[in-house]
Amino acid sequence: MRFSEFLKDKLPAIGLGGAGLSMMLVFMLAFKANTQQIFAVCFIYVLIGMVILLWDFFRRRRFYVRLMEDLDRLDQKYLISEMVEPPEFIEGRLLCEVLAQTSSAMCGQVAAYRRETADFREYIELWVHEIKLPLAGMQLMTHNSPDGKKYSAELKRLEEYIDNVLYYTRCDNAEKDYLIKPVSLKRAFSNTALKNRGLLQQNGVCLSAEGLDTTVMTDSKWLEYMLGQLMGNSLKYLRPEVTGEITVFTAETDTATELHFRDNGCGIPAADLPRIFDKSFTGENGRTHAASTGMGLYIIKSLCTRLGHTVRAESVQGEYTDIIISFGKNEMKDIVSQEEK
Amino acid sequence: MSRIFIAEDDSAILAGLTDLLSGAGYETAVLNGFENAPAQILAARPDLVLMDITLPVMNGEMILREIRKSSDVPVIMVTSRSSETDEVLSLSYGADDYVSKPYDPTILLLRISAVLKRYSRVEEKSTYRGLNLNTARGSLSDGSTELVLTKNEMLIFRVLLDKQGQIVTRDELMTALWDNEEYINDNALTVNISRLRQKLDGFGCKGAIETRKKQGYILL
Repeated sequence: MRFSEFLKDKLPAIGLGGAGLSMMLVFMLAFKANTQQIFAVCFIYVLIGMVILLWDFFRRRRFYVRLMEDLDRLDQKYLISEMVEPPEFIEGRLLCEVLAQTSSAMCGQVAAYRRETADFREYIELWVHEIKLPLAGMQLMTHNSPDGKKYSAELKRLEEYIDNVLYYTRCDNAEKDYLIKPVSLKRAFSNTALKNRGLLQQNGVCLSAEGLDTTVMTDSKWLEYMLGQLMGNSLKYLRPEVTGEITVFTAETDTATELHFRDNGCGIPAADLPRIFDKSFTGENGRTHAASTGMGLYIIKSLCTRLGHTVRAESVQGEYTDIIISFGKNEMKDIVSQEEK
Repeated sequence: MSRIFIAEDDSAILAGLTDLLSGAGYETAVLNGFENAPAQILAARPDLVLMDITLPVMNGEMILREIRKSSDVPVIMVTSRSSETDEVLSLSYGADDYVSKPYDPTILLLRISAVLKRYSRVEEKSTYRGLNLNTARGSLSDGSTELVLTKNEMLIFRVLLDKQGQIVTRDELMTALWDNEEYINDNALTVNISRLRQKLDGFGCKGAIETRKKQGYILL
């Protein structure tokens, strides 16, 4: 708030004051008051006018400057109503009142939606657990019956899609439903491989794992899900002319353990590469190969972000794709692994 | 024969599990109503308990804690809840393993046999036709000479020996190999088996492994 702006705002009052002063002058001249008296009265009149203006300007300025500064500093602007102290002048108090009322109404709305989403999410989780029961029953039945084998691949697909729903609801939610502890990469990978063994063998894909004798700080269930997704992707984008190969290995840097998940599939066009982790991005491969929803890598990226990992991709079209998850190293890991020993 | 107690409330899964386990040569026992589940389980004196977490009356975790007060019978928690927290919690209550539904039946069987072995509820066989099996050295010996097996051959022989006289499917062999981080394919399995067969032949065990067409292999 600048003084000139304030003056402009007060122009009618100043004008009125000026008019009053000139009328006073006219009357005093008419009453033949002497020059010294006229001067003294005018001086006091103007002085008081100035004092009132300045006082008003400064108390307003103090309030609004503080308000704007606070607003600047806040990353959640709607919290401003919690920060302002009501000033003594009326417009300021009205402003505070308006802010308080709108923000509490907004908070009410947001809370209602939040509750709704949380309820929905809770229901989805419950539903996932429920639907897994008949699925487990069916898997046992197909395993026990002599001609059941032909159904098992479809059941596997069902299971995968159901897991996608579960992890999608988990991936951008504020609730903490993961648990970080030292996880053996070897164990996690072998669990994933075992789960997908049927599909891998049907497609004649060779699997090799090297240097997985290390532990990282992560949630093993989430990691296994992510590895399963990557495996699913590799199977989707095989090159028919070569034998499919998936190679998993680690590389250590100063600050992180990097897990490379590399296949010799059709690769990703360079133009698509920067966007493959975007939500709903399908790209060229999504159009030319099996239908893609563009959700798999997005979910992986979100899960990684929540777990504090980073994920990136390297690829040459027609040669390979390498997805690299990097797990940060920290002292915590050393402490925990020492305790385990 | 090991007796496995199944605490499960879903009738389809219960029937499926009972079939699966009896097919794999286990004796099974089930809950008769959900009252007094811990007492029922203890009374059956099982070698292993497969426990669902969400059971009526008393949930699996509570049953587990009750059981642990008086028994150290191995318990595998089987549940559709699949978060790390659930698993850690179950293990802290004294469960020996945790398998989430839906599961691959072959993997479940593998876990069961691993837990049973860990508790030596089943005698781990270490001799075959008078030959001593030395897992640590990866070899078979007749006292004077030693037959060295590769890791894969050893794993295959181990599975066949544990189920000597029963048919072992290729699926089971594959699962056991992959569980040990040996990600071999179909052809490699065939090659490994025929090599193992040759080695055993040359060591005086002619016709030890028989192929049952479309079913699997059997160690005689």
